[in-house]
Amino acid sequence: MFVPSYFEFVNSAKLLCGDYAMENIPSEMRLLGSSRPIILSDATLEKIGSVRILTDALSKGGMKASAIYTDIPLDSSIEKVNEISRVYRENNADGIIALGGGSVIDTAKGLRMLISQGGKNILSYVGSEMLGRGQSVPFAAIPTTSGTGSEATSVAVIKDGERKVKLEFISSFLLPDIAVLDVRALESMPARITALTGLDALTHAIEAYSCLQKNPISQCYALTAIKLIMENLENAVRKPKDKDARIAMAIASYIAGASFSNSMVGIVHAIGHSVGGVCSVAHGEAMTILLPICMRYNKDYADSDYSDLLLYLSNADVYASTRNEDRAEKAIDVVVSFIERIKARAPIATKLSERGVKRSDFEEIAKRALNDGALIVNPRNADKDDILKILEEAF
Amino acid sequence: MKTLFKTITCKVVLRVLYRALKVLVVKESRIRREFSSFKEGFTIRITLSEGGPSVFMMKKNGNLVFSMKGEDSDLDLKFKSVDSAFLVFTGMMGISRAYAEHRIVVKGDITDTMTLVRIIDIAEAYLFPHIMTRRILRSVPNKERSSLSVYRMVLLGF
Repeated sequence: MFVPSYFEFVNSAKLLCGDYAMENIPSEMRLLGSSRPIILSDATLEKIGSVRILTDALSKGGMKASAIYTDIPLDSSIEKVNEISRVYRENNADGIIALGGGSVIDTAKGLRMLISQGGKNILSYVGSEMLGRGQSVPFAAIPTTSGTGSEATSVAVIKDGERKVKLEFISSFLLPDIAVLDVRALESMPARITALTGLDALTHAIEAYSCLQKNPISQCYALTAIKLIMENLENAVRKPKDKDARIAMAIASYIAGASFSNSMVGIVHAIGHSVGGVCSVAHGEAMTILLPICMRYNKDYADSDYSDLLLYLSNADVYASTRNEDRAEKAIDVVVSFIERIKARAPIATKLSERGVKRSDFEEIAKRALNDGALIVNPRNADKDDILKILEEAF
Repeated sequence: MKTLFKTITCKVVLRVLYRALKVLVVKESRIRREFSSFKEGFTIRITLSEGGPSVFMMKKNGNLVFSMKGEDSDLDLKFKSVDSAFLVFTGMMGISRAYAEHRIVVKGDITDTMTLVRIIDIAEAYLFPHIMTRRILRSVPNKERSSLSVYRMVLLGF
């Protein structure tokens, strides 16, 4: 196993996972010093009753939210975070509970950053590892999808609406204090979202295992995430009420998130972020389309890592019966067939053209991908021509 | 003593790097292209470690110029320790790896950071011998001119 000359690893959130996990939030929040948290969520989750499940759980523990804010769009923005900070202060809140997907949790991270630093505009904090801890703002995150792993990452991606760019904030102080995996928050996910977020988590794990900042701890996390995804994603897509599959996928997403938060992700995300930004392709769909192609692009530079992955992507028999020099290629083939199996159960795209991307978009996608921070840790250095070739293959 | 040696070495290399960038922004087509993406008046600060020496640079009339010290730069790169800076400035580690290994604190936009990292990667191909760059860079950029001519312009100004 690869041991780097230096690495850092942080995964400080306390995990509450399983039956009645939400009911334990009041007790944990009190221990952290919060008795009047604000709840952040979105309108859909409020409509389908997920927010109600959370408020009921808080009530049972004798806790009432100081405010409930659900007007958070799919792509949260700096302006939104700044607006919510005013709501937080007006209501004299003393903590944050985020219930939602990546956008809601990233918004909560932005809010926590702003409140803890005592600022009025989070634009002042754009960058990597520049934030101090600041004032304590207890923060619990409850994911409602199993893919982004945002509840376990030190990164927040928030849009600057004025400049129309997505900004990255990186700091270990963005990590929630508590991550809550409760199947009731996950059951409403439709098959397509389950499939795409699950494949997003698989991409996180595979890239985390093979990117430049991999280390023995993050690789250990990545392997476990891959195993859980391979064993449970199909069931979660096929049987939405399968609680075991749902919670296993939530754990996989959390572990993959913790892994890539430390190892970072590579070219699949660099290009995928840009495909999403330029052509509004859903993030998980971009990952699904690009993952096998980018694995082939990286293969000669990540051969040993991909060979290791074969055992977790398939099983001991397949691993043992494949010659060592063929294992990396076989691992990619297994990923391709896994995606095909998922596609047979949910309406997901495996080509960019199926989602309205045009060849004329390639130039802008490649330009943006080159400036994505994920590219810096990819095992193989990619230039614009390489990215254009990958896009052509994915078309 | 060892720290003092590392600090002095880094300070000298940092100054050479600044002068090399100033030359290469004009003479190297890929660096010129990358540099053109910075807005006019864009400021960059590279600091060796907390409280350590810094170099301040600014884009002015399309060129890279030395800038007066200022509190706020558009892009601020600070090494967490002089030992990390020493690894980078003596060609033992690429700037990309240093960033990936969390050895640098960045204040500013990631897009600008990536541009600067690419610029420094290309500059390193000129400043360090191939035997070093092939170890620290994921791919060594082709040189458009000899390292000797770059060093001549950096040290002698012509």
